[in-house]
Amino acid sequence: MYLLYFDPGLGAMIIQGVIAAVAGVILFSKNLLYKIKLFFSLVKKDDDLFDDINIEDTDIENQTNSDK
Amino acid sequence: MINKEQHSSSFRDPSGYIFIEQNILKRKILPIYFNQYNKLKNSKFFDKLFKSSLLIKHKEVSVSESEIVIEPEQIPFITYPYEWSFNQYKEAALLTLKLQKFALENEFSLKDASAFNVTFHNGNAIFIDTLSFDFYKENEPWRAYKQFITHFFGPLILAHYHGSEMLKLMGSFMDGIPVKTIASLLPFKTKLNPFLYANIHLLAKFEDKHNEDYKGETKSVALSKKGQLNIIKSLYNSIKKLELKETSEWGEYYNKTNYTDAAFQEKSKLINTWIRNINAKTVIDVGGNDGTFVRQIHTSLIQALVCDIDNNAVDYNYKQLKINKDSFMLPFVLDVLNPSANIGFNNKERFSFLKRISEFAPDVTLALAVIHHMTLSGNITFEMSASFFSSFSEHLVIEFPRKNDSWVQRLLKSKGEFEVHFDFYNLDNFKSNYLKCFNIVEEQTINGSERVLFLLERKNGKT
Repeated sequence: MYLLYFDPGLGAMIIQGVIAAVAGVILFSKNLLYKIKLFFSLVKKDDDLFDDINIEDTDIENQTNSDK
Repeated sequence: MINKEQHSSSFRDPSGYIFIEQNILKRKILPIYFNQYNKLKNSKFFDKLFKSSLLIKHKEVSVSESEIVIEPEQIPFITYPYEWSFNQYKEAALLTLKLQKFALENEFSLKDASAFNVTFHNGNAIFIDTLSFDFYKENEPWRAYKQFITHFFGPLILAHYHGSEMLKLMGSFMDGIPVKTIASLLPFKTKLNPFLYANIHLLAKFEDKHNEDYKGETKSVALSKKGQLNIIKSLYNSIKKLELKETSEWGEYYNKTNYTDAAFQEKSKLINTWIRNINAKTVIDVGGNDGTFVRQIHTSLIQALVCDIDNNAVDYNYKQLKINKDSFMLPFVLDVLNPSANIGFNNKERFSFLKRISEFAPDVTLALAVIHHMTLSGNITFEMSASFFSSFSEHLVIEFPRKNDSWVQRLLKSKGEFEVHFDFYNLDNFKSNYLKCFNIVEEQTINGSERVLFLLERKNGKT
């Protein structure tokens, strides 16, 4: 059984396939663009406030060490 | 609040609920969620998230056949989405997506994506709903996708186009801003952007089309895990790049002030001495702007709440905090003239600013360059503001700009004929009214300015 206690929205469930396809195209083209830029050394240094989506293992390791 | 009753804000999820026992917040897990909980625990999923400070830490208190009780690390002051600045909101959204990606990689999935599952603690956004993780079912779309749009992406994209005030909508739409509303508020050009078209406009259309299906006849479609990860990654990239369009107006404040460097130094020296004398560890600065003053305090504080009415000032402060790693600071948006109310079912789901701050009971309240705005712009009488300040902390450091102060003059001039109504605005009246609630411990005129600084102590028996 689902422990689902709110309406996920039927439309929202159905449409995710389309949204995923759009997202796939965007990610693919952005990635391609990035690689081209990288090739021509056009990539600027990343000074963002936030990290990227991955929880790096190194983050976890570092945190462990600093906790001790 | 000493009871073992289910907490009034914790009733939506049947997996368990939080309760308060001897002033400690604990979480009860019911048998329906035992499988998930044990798997999350045994696979070290929880541990990994604890170590990366993405999920609030907890320890197991008791295990029986009918319930498991865990005790999470206590968070001294909870802030809500409608009190966050733009970048705080962004961080909370990114945290949720990060968790969903990590969950998927470990065969779990977030079963909800409510913005109220996140709060700020030790300088970072942190996920506080430990029971939000469920097993991932192969090829099932993300059930919390729509909730993510209405709680996070929608408010952020609206703020991008219409300013950070839009984030306050979450105070009215506790279950998220309806997709239709988001779509209708967005400019037409967003329909030409494939990403926004798919995630907002198309979603709104589909939701509208299928909301009459009460029989559940329409079958849900399958979505591969890779497909779901694409949605999550593209949302992450898009939100990470999102900026406010409005130019910030706050920033010039400290350049616009009417006092000299020397006066500023004197003021901060005085406050430092007083805070040391009363041995304050917790502070709220009700008109804290970008946190400049709190950063001048040299005694080590455990927690400093730094509030301002201006989302941009709070946001600037938050960015500074991230860079400097000022983890003792918690900035949030507060309008002293209209602080957050009790909302939700029975008005007991999300608590008012006043309730939370009274429980937090900071050792000292700083009200610097605030009283003239409250009195002259807000028409709040001295008696009313004194009673407000005395309701939540033992000490008050308050700055009173005399009538000749250029800011006071500016506010008074804008009143036109009504200016005579504010004849009561003077030091004697201020003191006599504040003496009803407080005793004066220190009083000091700042040299080279029209401002007087007070350290007040609450009178006993007055709460």
